[in-house]
Amino acid sequence: MKKAILPAKSDLQYVSLVLPGLIIFTAGLIVPLIMGIGYSLTDWNGISQNKTFTGFLNYIRAFTDPEVRSAWLFTIKFTVVNTIIQNTLALLLAVVLDGKIPGKKILRTIFFFPCLISAVIVGFVWTKMYNNVLPAVFDAMGLDGHLCMLFGDEKTVLQGLLIANNWQWVGYWMLIYLAALQSVPAELYEAARVDGANSVQRFRHVTIPMIASAITVCTVGITTGSLKVYDLLVTSTRGGPGRASTSIIYYIYSAAIGGRQYGFGSALSVVLTVVLLAVAVVQLRMLRKNEVQM
Amino acid sequence: MKQPGKTSGWKKYSGGIAMKKVIACVLLSALLCGAASAKSSGKKKNSEKQIVLKVLAGQSTTDAGIEKLIDKAVAKKYPDIRLDWECVDWGQDFHPKMQVYIQSGLPDIMIGKAQDVITYGSQDLLGDMTNASYTKEILPAAKTGVTVNNKVYGLTYNAQYQGVYYNRTLFKKYNITVPRTLDDLNNIIAAFKAKGLTPFATHFLDTWSIGNIAMQFAVNDVFRDIPDWGDRFRAGTKNFSTDPGYKAVYEYCKLIYDNTWTKETFSMEQTACDAKLVQGKAAMKVSGSWSIQNFLDIDQSFDFGIFPFPNRTGDSKLLFEPNITFMKSKKSSEQGAIDRVLDVIATDKELALEICNYTKTASMLKDVTPTFPNPSQKDIDMYAAEGKIQDVNLGNNQLQWGGFQDENAKDIAEYVQGKIDIQTALKAADARRSISKTE
Repeated sequence: MKKAILPAKSDLQYVSLVLPGLIIFTAGLIVPLIMGIGYSLTDWNGISQNKTFTGFLNYIRAFTDPEVRSAWLFTIKFTVVNTIIQNTLALLLAVVLDGKIPGKKILRTIFFFPCLISAVIVGFVWTKMYNNVLPAVFDAMGLDGHLCMLFGDEKTVLQGLLIANNWQWVGYWMLIYLAALQSVPAELYEAARVDGANSVQRFRHVTIPMIASAITVCTVGITTGSLKVYDLLVTSTRGGPGRASTSIIYYIYSAAIGGRQYGFGSALSVVLTVVLLAVAVVQLRMLRKNEVQM
Repeated sequence: MKQPGKTSGWKKYSGGIAMKKVIACVLLSALLCGAASAKSSGKKKNSEKQIVLKVLAGQSTTDAGIEKLIDKAVAKKYPDIRLDWECVDWGQDFHPKMQVYIQSGLPDIMIGKAQDVITYGSQDLLGDMTNASYTKEILPAAKTGVTVNNKVYGLTYNAQYQGVYYNRTLFKKYNITVPRTLDDLNNIIAAFKAKGLTPFATHFLDTWSIGNIAMQFAVNDVFRDIPDWGDRFRAGTKNFSTDPGYKAVYEYCKLIYDNTWTKETFSMEQTACDAKLVQGKAAMKVSGSWSIQNFLDIDQSFDFGIFPFPNRTGDSKLLFEPNITFMKSKKSSEQGAIDRVLDVIATDKELALEICNYTKTASMLKDVTPTFPNPSQKDIDMYAAEGKIQDVNLGNNQLQWGGFQDENAKDIAEYVQGKIDIQTALKAADARRSISKTE
């Protein structure tokens, strides 16, 4: 009896299909990551030929430098608040736009449209909104136009950025929730209705469990995206006033890389990568427990 | 007799295998083609027809667009040379880009500021221009800042003047004279406030403007008396937190902030700020020639002057900053073509005039006098005649911008808003001692 040779050939074909992507992934991500870890153990300034080994000094500084702490604090505040607001708003919008309301297709388009715009442009747009358009409107209404200058005050800069970021992305996550809502079998709602559940109870006991996988995707996506906030800051607040809106990635680029502290910048990047991975893994584990498998 | 189902299934399977092979080959080919084209795009097309030189230009707001003027001039004289431009913001992206290219291969020509020559020339990255014929076209004063170990590594093209730009119309209207001392300055601040005018126009949204203001003050209050203050700082014999000169610098920044539109300055961009000065909503602005382009774009007839911000001893000087500086890569294989391009840049007086008029700056080439209307020129000429002009790189060459001056500027921003006290801000600068200059 002939040996079955088809499975081995099949494996070869699969490998050959995966190989290009694997090469790009290795060359573009894994190799730089390993090199970055190497640089993080040196005092390299990015220019000179010399790279003096300094051990974990850069990592010690990464955990003790007050400016790094300040950047992390801003990033964490932005991430936590943004995740809660964006998730909630996206879900609420999806629920509303899944119902029988007139013009829902147009409304879906309107809400989705901003996510097609580059974050760089969004930064410019909202800078003009806060600094020129809204103050003019407020002044015309007899109110103090300075109240709108959210980017100009360290006490309100976070709120200003949250509004801009949510305006851009809530439509994107809303679509994911919308798709999840539309995949919930109608019979479940019918059964719940028959059992006497009101709308809130149906939402809590039927809708939420059934869209748990979408919640996982959106929560992880919004969290990791918020932790990496950068391009919005470049064109709006530039990390200011002072350092009031300097995120960790902004700090890495401007102070560490721009400041010719390549070793220190690499250490910060490695720490950030570990944090991003840890956050994603923890979130996935916690949220996957609640997912319902049909 | 063959069973139809099995035969067709086998054909489907073998057809599927063939398709997978085709797809795999296509993907691999695409990957290899991509890699090959990426490699070849980094090379210059050294054909007989055209030489392509890569140019990295770190630009300020006023320089954007000069690449088109240079392209035209080079194409006219050397049609076999084409410049492939990459234009970035000098303050934000030039140094990170240089760090990338230092690893992968520097562009043939780099355009930065004179202070960059000290940074990169000291790392043996730049080509020596000492004996190049085109350097004879540059004013001797412009060569000092681009000379490292007695070798010239840069071609400084133009210069900006820095100081306090003032609305001459407002000064005349309220019969106010240019201040020479700090007391004079405080008096005119009070006078403008009494008239309901904002004394200073500022745009602190741009942290670089805070850093620039601070360095202007530092040159007159610190570096003029101790030119190697930065070296002494790195040696540990000078500190920001104990130096009365630097304490005064930070206090001047606070004085500016307390006498500007505090609710708006951290939201205001440069163009809007310059417009307000032209419109008479503010009387003065600590700035540089880069504002002139905006002034004249808004109002061609705007009458403005310039004076040096007074220092503690009442003898402050107007500052000039060698600006657009051309550098070449030491390792480029197209040294001949680079020299031809730099020769055009240095010898084409029409091009020089065009660029200086476009950027509203002074030329560092011999026998080139810009013809754009500059109401502040008579003030500049007066200070020059009195010997009261100082190169701002006296300070910039001692304390680097990236990672040091710009971070200090953020501390100043927090100090002027009252978030931290002056000692905390000064000590933060001391904590950055080791990165105050790239050695």
